[in-house]
Amino acid sequence: MLETEELKKVFKGKTAVEGASLYIDKGESVGLLGPNGAGKSTTISMISTLLKPTSGDVRLNGKSVIKNPSDMRRVLGVVPQEIALYAELSAYENLKFFGRIYGLTGKALETAIQHSLELVGLVERQKEIVKTYSGGMKRRVNIAAAMMHEPEVIIMDEPTVGIDPQSRSHILEMVRKLNKEKGLTVLYTSHYMEEVERLCDRVYIMDHGKIIASGTKDELKSILSSEETVWIELDRPYPAFFKELQSIESIKQAIETEKGIKLILPKGSRVLGKVFQASERHHVQIINVNVQTPSLEDVFLHLTGRKLRD
Amino acid sequence: MFAFMKKDMLILIRDRTELAVLLAMPFILIAILGFALSGLLSGNSEVLSMDVAIVQEDDEQQGLDRFAEELGSAGIPAEAQAGIMAAAEESSPSSILQGILTDDSLSGLVTAQEMDTASATKALEEEEVVAILTIPENFTFKALQKMMLDAGDGAELQLMISDHAATQSEVFHDILDEFVWSLNFESAIARAANGEGDLPVAEQTQFGGVESVSAVQPISSFQYYTIGMAVMFALFVGATISGMAYVEKQQFVFNRILLSDHHPLVYLGSKAISAAIITFLQFCILFFLSSLIFGAFDLTEGAFWPGMLLIAFSLSICVGAVAAFLTALTMRFDNDTITTVFSGGVVTIFAFLGGSFTPTEGLPVFIQKLGSWTPNGAALNAFLLWVQNLELGLLWEPLGRLLLITILLLALGLLLFPRKGEA
Repeated sequence: MLETEELKKVFKGKTAVEGASLYIDKGESVGLLGPNGAGKSTTISMISTLLKPTSGDVRLNGKSVIKNPSDMRRVLGVVPQEIALYAELSAYENLKFFGRIYGLTGKALETAIQHSLELVGLVERQKEIVKTYSGGMKRRVNIAAAMMHEPEVIIMDEPTVGIDPQSRSHILEMVRKLNKEKGLTVLYTSHYMEEVERLCDRVYIMDHGKIIASGTKDELKSILSSEETVWIELDRPYPAFFKELQSIESIKQAIETEKGIKLILPKGSRVLGKVFQASERHHVQIINVNVQTPSLEDVFLHLTGRKLRD
Repeated sequence: MFAFMKKDMLILIRDRTELAVLLAMPFILIAILGFALSGLLSGNSEVLSMDVAIVQEDDEQQGLDRFAEELGSAGIPAEAQAGIMAAAEESSPSSILQGILTDDSLSGLVTAQEMDTASATKALEEEEVVAILTIPENFTFKALQKMMLDAGDGAELQLMISDHAATQSEVFHDILDEFVWSLNFESAIARAANGEGDLPVAEQTQFGGVESVSAVQPISSFQYYTIGMAVMFALFVGATISGMAYVEKQQFVFNRILLSDHHPLVYLGSKAISAAIITFLQFCILFFLSSLIFGAFDLTEGAFWPGMLLIAFSLSICVGAVAAFLTALTMRFDNDTITTVFSGGVVTIFAFLGGSFTPTEGLPVFIQKLGSWTPNGAALNAFLLWVQNLELGLLWEPLGRLLLITILLLALGLLLFPRKGEA
């Protein structure tokens, strides 16, 4: 549905984005990860036609939107990182204005306003002035404003920055519903890795203006390691049990720890059955088993050498 | 476009600080300046009216007789003598001057009383009159001799003015200056025409300079400062609107507008129209309140208001252009320093040059010229001309200047405003 080809943007001799190619299929939810200054916002601005690329192309359904941005703008909703609202107006007045500039009038406008307010859960407080809202409520109106014209694609640039957990949870659930139930195509950037893990089917990782990795969450995690770590928590030490585990061929390494045993296994090895059989033979009381796989945060750290919120 | 303008209005209405600057502040200044400077500026007839003493030492008939004798001895043919004599009787300067000072158009402004020298001096000392005009002995003869025959040294009027009423004395002095200039001018024309064998007759009504001064309606301090403050504070609307545009850009609302696929120039146009509408409303509110509370203008005078509204409309359009220009600069350079400098300094300078604080007549000519090319100065000029004369024809020049300023600012605004939304 939407793709970019070798996008490049140079500001006063400084390259902000270089060779960014990505695609998003219809109904897909894609995450764009990167630390501050990675070039995410510049990429988003080029995709949303607000910024003309120095080179490269942005295509919607195979058609370039660089020279004809109207095609993109009709189907696109953008939720900027900033609260792009009129603080002196109420949520209702803001949405009315943004609906009108998209050509909505009369009953259609009123329906769109109420629908957007319902979506973000602010119907009851729609007449209050935006500047009196909490940060979370402002963020919700910010999203509602982008939804007024019922876009097919929505770009959300860190939409949950600086808000309370309740509002954050509300927003994430809303985005998930829009994507899964309404088929909205989503391009989502966030500093919160768990948000991307929860919402996105695929992820692009950007750093220093370049896309350095991409794929499904599992594909990305597989970059990091070919091993898994299994933590076995025991009620007390069992030396015989530990010795038997060390002799199992599939287990690369068995390490005694304070609470039990740590096993290093090749990724995908089916060794837990043997472990449980041995525990029965030695009458071992297992309290907990935890299989640890790499997180996207680990992948990000591995790829960029930085934490996402550095 | 309507949505943009409605939004601007709503935001402005909710912003109490801006409303205070645009409406309350000028109104307070009108009150302060109107009361404080009423004595200096007031056009109320009782303030500008003046009593003057005329000391008549000249015998007009004797002067005419003596001039006839002079003609006879000059060897001029009898037929020509009769013509010159007829002209002399009709354009006797003494009669013309008396006519001017007792003319209806100066009634309420100048009250001339004929006195002898001693009484006049005493009246001046006791501040009963503001000036003594002495028409000296042989004034008629000497003036006619110079005017008709270009002989002799000419005649001089003697004016003694008082220090206690400087403004009135100055006005009276100006009236006499105008009279003397007109007389000399008419004489020069008559002599030139005589050379071609034609003999014009100098009519009293031809002394247009004096007539035009007297035709002007006086203007009160409240009228002056209602206009002065209204044209000055209109400029703040331009700054306010461009300031709002800057906030829209900073808060990325401008990006939302661009994403709605509106051409950036539609946005710029909406800013200009919003500013024009707000300015016009500001004018209406200020003029209405000032008329209602201070009695600056007669609200029931039907013929008066269309001209006022025409000028207010013209300035409103110009302020729209100011807003467009400032918005374009702000958006191009992504900096609102220009707006701050404009509202913090340029408006004050314009207000001074344009005469919002005090009439510019006392200032050097180049400053007056400069002021007349500021939006507020041109509008103030037009308002004063209309209030004093109620003649539409007089407005075209200042309104033409206003139109030129508007076109220039709009052109610059269009040129500077970033089209791609990339600024």
